[in-house]
Amino acid sequence: MPTVSTVNLTAPLLLLLLWATHPTMATNWLSLARLPRSRPVSGAAPCARLRGLTPGQVGVCRARGEVMESVRKAAEMVIEECQHQFRNRRWNCSTTPRGINVFGRVMNQGTREAAFVHALSSAAVAVAVTRACTRGELERCGCDRKVRGVSPEGFQWSGCSDNLSYGVAFSQTFVDEPERAKGLSAGRPLMNLHNNEAGRKAILHNMQVECKCHGVSGSCELRTCWKVMPPFRRVGVVLKERFDGATEVRLTRIGSRTALLPRDSQVKPPAARDLVYLAPSPDFCRLDPENGIPGTAGRRCNGTSRLAPDGCELVCCGPGYKAGRAEVVQRCSCKFSWCCSVRCQQCKNTVTIHTCRV
Amino acid sequence: MAGAIIENMSTKKLVIVGVILLLFQAFAFMVGGLIAPSPATAVHYLATKCVDTVKKPQQTKWFMPWGPNQCDNIQSFDEAMAKGIEANNIVFAVHIPLPNKEMSPWFQFMLFILQFDIAFKMYNQIADGALVHIDVGLAYRDDMNSEWTEMAHSLEQRKLSCNFTATKVTHENEGRHYECDLLPFMEVGSVAHKYYLLNIRLPVNERKKINVGIAEIRDIRLVGIHQNGGFTKVWFAMKTVLTPSILIIMIWYWRRITLMSRPPVLLEKVILALGISMTFINIPVEWFSVGFNWTWMLLFGDIRQGIFYSMLLSFWIIFCGEHLMETEFFETLVLGRGELKMCDLCVPAIKILPKLGRHSTKKSQDQTERNRFSIYWKQVGPIVFGSFCLFIFDMCERGVQLKNPFYSIWASDIGTELAMAFIIVAGICACLYFLFLCFMVFQVFRNISGKRMSLPAMSKARQLHYEGLIFRFKFLMLVTLACAALTVIFFIISQVNEGHWHRGEHMVQVNSAFFTGIYGMWNLYVFAIMFLYAPSHKHYGDEQSSIQCITGDAGVNSCEDIQPTTTITHVDGPTEIYKMIGQEAQE
Repeated sequence: MPTVSTVNLTAPLLLLLLWATHPTMATNWLSLARLPRSRPVSGAAPCARLRGLTPGQVGVCRARGEVMESVRKAAEMVIEECQHQFRNRRWNCSTTPRGINVFGRVMNQGTREAAFVHALSSAAVAVAVTRACTRGELERCGCDRKVRGVSPEGFQWSGCSDNLSYGVAFSQTFVDEPERAKGLSAGRPLMNLHNNEAGRKAILHNMQVECKCHGVSGSCELRTCWKVMPPFRRVGVVLKERFDGATEVRLTRIGSRTALLPRDSQVKPPAARDLVYLAPSPDFCRLDPENGIPGTAGRRCNGTSRLAPDGCELVCCGPGYKAGRAEVVQRCSCKFSWCCSVRCQQCKNTVTIHTCRV
Repeated sequence: MAGAIIENMSTKKLVIVGVILLLFQAFAFMVGGLIAPSPATAVHYLATKCVDTVKKPQQTKWFMPWGPNQCDNIQSFDEAMAKGIEANNIVFAVHIPLPNKEMSPWFQFMLFILQFDIAFKMYNQIADGALVHIDVGLAYRDDMNSEWTEMAHSLEQRKLSCNFTATKVTHENEGRHYECDLLPFMEVGSVAHKYYLLNIRLPVNERKKINVGIAEIRDIRLVGIHQNGGFTKVWFAMKTVLTPSILIIMIWYWRRITLMSRPPVLLEKVILALGISMTFINIPVEWFSVGFNWTWMLLFGDIRQGIFYSMLLSFWIIFCGEHLMETEFFETLVLGRGELKMCDLCVPAIKILPKLGRHSTKKSQDQTERNRFSIYWKQVGPIVFGSFCLFIFDMCERGVQLKNPFYSIWASDIGTELAMAFIIVAGICACLYFLFLCFMVFQVFRNISGKRMSLPAMSKARQLHYEGLIFRFKFLMLVTLACAALTVIFFIISQVNEGHWHRGEHMVQVNSAFFTGIYGMWNLYVFAIMFLYAPSHKHYGDEQSSIQCITGDAGVNSCEDIQPTTTITHVDGPTEIYKMIGQEAQE
């Protein structure tokens, strides 16, 4: 009899646990950024040991092992870019000290911030894989079109420059995989899929066209044009703009299908490029360890200018901010080169630092 | 000019000829649009940052970005700072082509463009007039296991013209990229080997101010352009088919001319020259580029095209000039004994005949006057001068690239100004030429309308003669305008359009269709001219002879006895020389 009751208790607890971790599983692959550079991420055995990958993603890892190094780079790019874009906001994309859930339980709810992270991560995978193809690090990239036969003949007959299509296709395969595994009838997977696609579209819609004339005597009789991928910083800026204009949606049933439609019926349905979110963002002011919110206490802010985006009025919440003086050693009178060596002197300065109150 | 075939052709036959030519034209377009791929491909390369740790190497070491002998590389320059690597130790390596692919001689040429990814940093911005000094080496090999052989090495300078589009230059924009112009990097006129390797260094020397003030470079991108192998094969096939066709018609044309009893006139010689220049373009010398490493093929192709365009423009203006029709015809009566009685207003003239009997006549003196090339110096002069300027420009750019593939005339300020000067002069010459052409066409049409009014008053033979001339001129004018308009329309479409259209599952390559179609069109044009404007062997009857008089300045006419030019002299008849007698004649 006692065993029945424990079984009865543990089963829902297990389900609760599973449900709690379920929504965050999609971005757990970002934990690859935490692995030391020396640890391999391709090959059958290492793939299985990578925590943070869903079973489907492990399958992709085994099948296309050489691409996983780019996925690791993509994870690093996501964290860096997210922290750059959100450096002046109350939630500044802070990462947890350890664990496979890089941004913490904040990603559990379908908020705007989660939408941004999903879009950015799928764009990062596409960009990183495309860059790896362009560097020649991957063996099979594009050129698998069935035009005029297999790769060498296809390339020699009509050329091919399909690296971006390959990157986007890999991003669809890898990043969308956890959502598809969960089925397309729940709200969060649909939201994640939409945002992933929005991230990829942010790249595709910001390509620049460059042309070169090379006809007779360099005239424009013969002109070749190509599309250039935008730098990742630009993708971050575009997605941040979409973040600011994101639409709140809810799951609605239309006939036999389910779809995400705006909560406010006056608003027009979101386009494929827009970001969508299910739940409103929490107040990021107060510390809330259960939901993974670090709060604004102790954040540095700019106390000198009221109108600056990182000004203390905007970043800090109710209690306000306090000023303190500290002695810092900064680099000064640096001699710069186009890379690498920066010869600087050390200067000691006393600066005023403003931080938010608890 | 004697009667051409076109004047004696019935409308039905002309329409049949036209329809056949149009069918070939449509076929030329379809070959390009449906069979050939797009003319050129652009392949992206991102340079790998290799680390060269040796201070002064004995021999040039070649750094391979991927593969079994991959160099030590760093992923980003932050890593370099951590490891204490200097800027002079960084080598950017690019391997052409990408893995599992090979370059082929069917690619005909390789053109590379350099793009820098430069990040904006507050304290390290691009200085005004910044120059990048690039130390670049190019090597090749033909299989994956052999050593690299150096092909070219150069120290190049390129001007950095970048701008940063931001409202405020603040810390907010740190890390964003500048928008920089494309830099021409390299052009090689033949692709003789399978694998190529580029090693690029940006040496820093603060004392000499080399590579100082070029901000923070994140990446070097290269775009490699080459002609598609499929397009090259289709193009060669087209040339191989067109060469014998044009040769045959040219030989036929010249035979007809030489079979005539009179020497060929200027216009006929110009048509032959046009045919020769077309044949010069058509001869598929490029087949040799597949087996031999001839880097001058690109320059040679430019020269051939230039010769053809000059010849075509000269032909147009000479054709207009020869059809000015500034002659007057008068009736006369042949009295025999070598005497003619002409109209009352005309001066007497004596015909000197070597023997009695029926004699054939020569062309009018007026047309003899215009029959010389030297009177066209004002019109042909701009063509020659403009072509010469473009030739010099091409030699300065592509000619020097034969020695140093990294050379670009646009890289230096002086070079840019020189190049612009040549191009502007050639443009001015082209404008002058077109002004002359328009003026001449206007003159011809004015003469035509003048002649039209006096046509009913003329004899049958002369009427036919003039109508023939008018029809000939108008036909060529119409066909030329149609061809030129088609060329311009297609050129605009190919510039504006993306390059290919999708219709269901078929893809039509518009750019390739433009090239093959226009090339075929001008070939058919030259073919049609040589066929239709060859001298006709038909007779009209040579009973009546008429006198041709030239109106002089004082209203005095000097006349000559000729036969209407719609008739052809006897094939083996003698040609006569006519002398003008009388002082008025000498006026």
